[in-house]
Amino acid sequence: MLDLLATPPNPTGASAPFWDACDRGELLFPKCGRCGRLFYYPRRHCPLCGDTALGWQRMSGRGTVFSHSHVHVAFQGGAWDGQLPYTVVLVDLAEGPRMVSRLIGGDAAAVRSGDAVSVVFPRIGFPRIGERRYPFFERAAAG
Amino acid sequence: MPAVGSDVVIAGIGETPVGRLPGWSPVEIQAAAVLAALRDAGFALSDLDGLINLDPYATPNSMFSSTLAEHLGVAPRFACTVDVGGTVTGMTMLQQAVWAIESGYCEVAACVYGENALTGRPVGAQGLHMHNLLGGEEWEEPFGLHGMVIPYALLAQRYLDLYGATDADLAAVALVTRRHALLNDNAQMRKPMTLEDYRASRLISSPLRLLDCSLVSDGGGALVLTRAGRAPQGRGRGVAIRAIGMKTTHNSVALMPDIPGLGMAAAGADAFEAAGMGPEDIQIANLHDAFTISVLVTLEALGFARPGEGGALVRSGAMDLGGRWPLNPHGGLLSQAHIGGMLHITEAVRQLRGEAGRRQVEGARRALVSGNGGIFSVCGAMILEKP
Repeated sequence: MLDLLATPPNPTGASAPFWDACDRGELLFPKCGRCGRLFYYPRRHCPLCGDTALGWQRMSGRGTVFSHSHVHVAFQGGAWDGQLPYTVVLVDLAEGPRMVSRLIGGDAAAVRSGDAVSVVFPRIGFPRIGERRYPFFERAAAG
Repeated sequence: MPAVGSDVVIAGIGETPVGRLPGWSPVEIQAAAVLAALRDAGFALSDLDGLINLDPYATPNSMFSSTLAEHLGVAPRFACTVDVGGTVTGMTMLQQAVWAIESGYCEVAACVYGENALTGRPVGAQGLHMHNLLGGEEWEEPFGLHGMVIPYALLAQRYLDLYGATDADLAAVALVTRRHALLNDNAQMRKPMTLEDYRASRLISSPLRLLDCSLVSDGGGALVLTRAGRAPQGRGRGVAIRAIGMKTTHNSVALMPDIPGLGMAAAGADAFEAAGMGPEDIQIANLHDAFTISVLVTLEALGFARPGEGGALVRSGAMDLGGRWPLNPHGGLLSQAHIGGMLHITEAVRQLRGEAGRRQVEGARRALVSGNGGIFSVCGAMILEKP
């Protein structure tokens, strides 16, 4: 398989724990300490109730595909040509929130909406900041 | 939003040629459009005391309202640059102009957008010249989601899955807007399109093909607003703004409501309620068509078609000239040019004045104009009425 290409996430202080957890192979979502709801993406306050007492919850990593697209154009230039076509997905996590991710694996081209997927954390190298692991998804074995 | 309810009218429209305008800068294009709109309304440059614009996306430029004011040679009391995204900014500019005139702070306001998005960027560049930040980068770019086509592709795939729609539904939108563009001398696309042409066009981001996507264009469009009694040529030419409805729901595609909950439904409900009207009162539908899918979801959100039946409505011929609700008689963003939706508004005004020549919609009294920014992030619907 080709080396994966991605742009670095450039985290803030509020989002760094999300990306640091990915490096450990864990998917953490922010959870409000007041209303108890999970949300995505990480912020310094809960967008559902406004409270700032937040924690993190480890997600199961299981989800379903809400929508998907196979990308045939390198919108950020020639460095991406070798990635084409690749698959972008909207994943509904089993615990609720929806996120944008990338579907990888040999059968990504056959994906259908509603398919079960699970998170994987491939390593991606960057020239200056070293290696990071991103929460991409693969179709679940039974899919 | 409440009805506009005032006597502020669109008194003049201005358009530049569209397509390739080599040798023209964004400020020159915007100035040309404003001057054309002032001439159309019968105003002199010195009458202008309100100026609202959008700066170019391909070459972002801070303080662009003062850039334009200086270039034009005016010193307006009210000037600002607004950017609420894509094709809804024009409507927000109109809203600002109406409020500024109603408040009495200015009398003659111009709203304008234009740039050289086609020829003003480096050869071979994909998408925009600059890497315009939209706010969601941290949660999109690491996953390969770049630019605006991919989010619309995700929306389109959801639409196909939700309603069992097919590429024939998407194609119908591309085909009708192309038929209309063939009647517009100021359109970029002048060749007929067939369903086979559509299906032979390359996939960009599935399910969207090249011919599902709007054009990249040079050009500009401007509107001049004033009170009905103030317009030199206002009698019989000033087009009323009956209502403007707006709704902002999200920014990035991960937080987009599912199709039945898109903000266009709330914006349309606001506009129709304020005007005391419904789709049955409309004769022209100038709808946001940055992508074919945009038209289908807008038709359904505004009540022109039931959920999932937008494609059938377009295929029925109802949105062709001569049908019940002609769609974008000028050819729209898909086949005329992408001038940020400004030409959806200028075309509506031209139609309501009865000055649209061979693409005139007979008996047109009211036009609905829709726009949205981002991925239906900011939605707007506006009803314009014949004088």
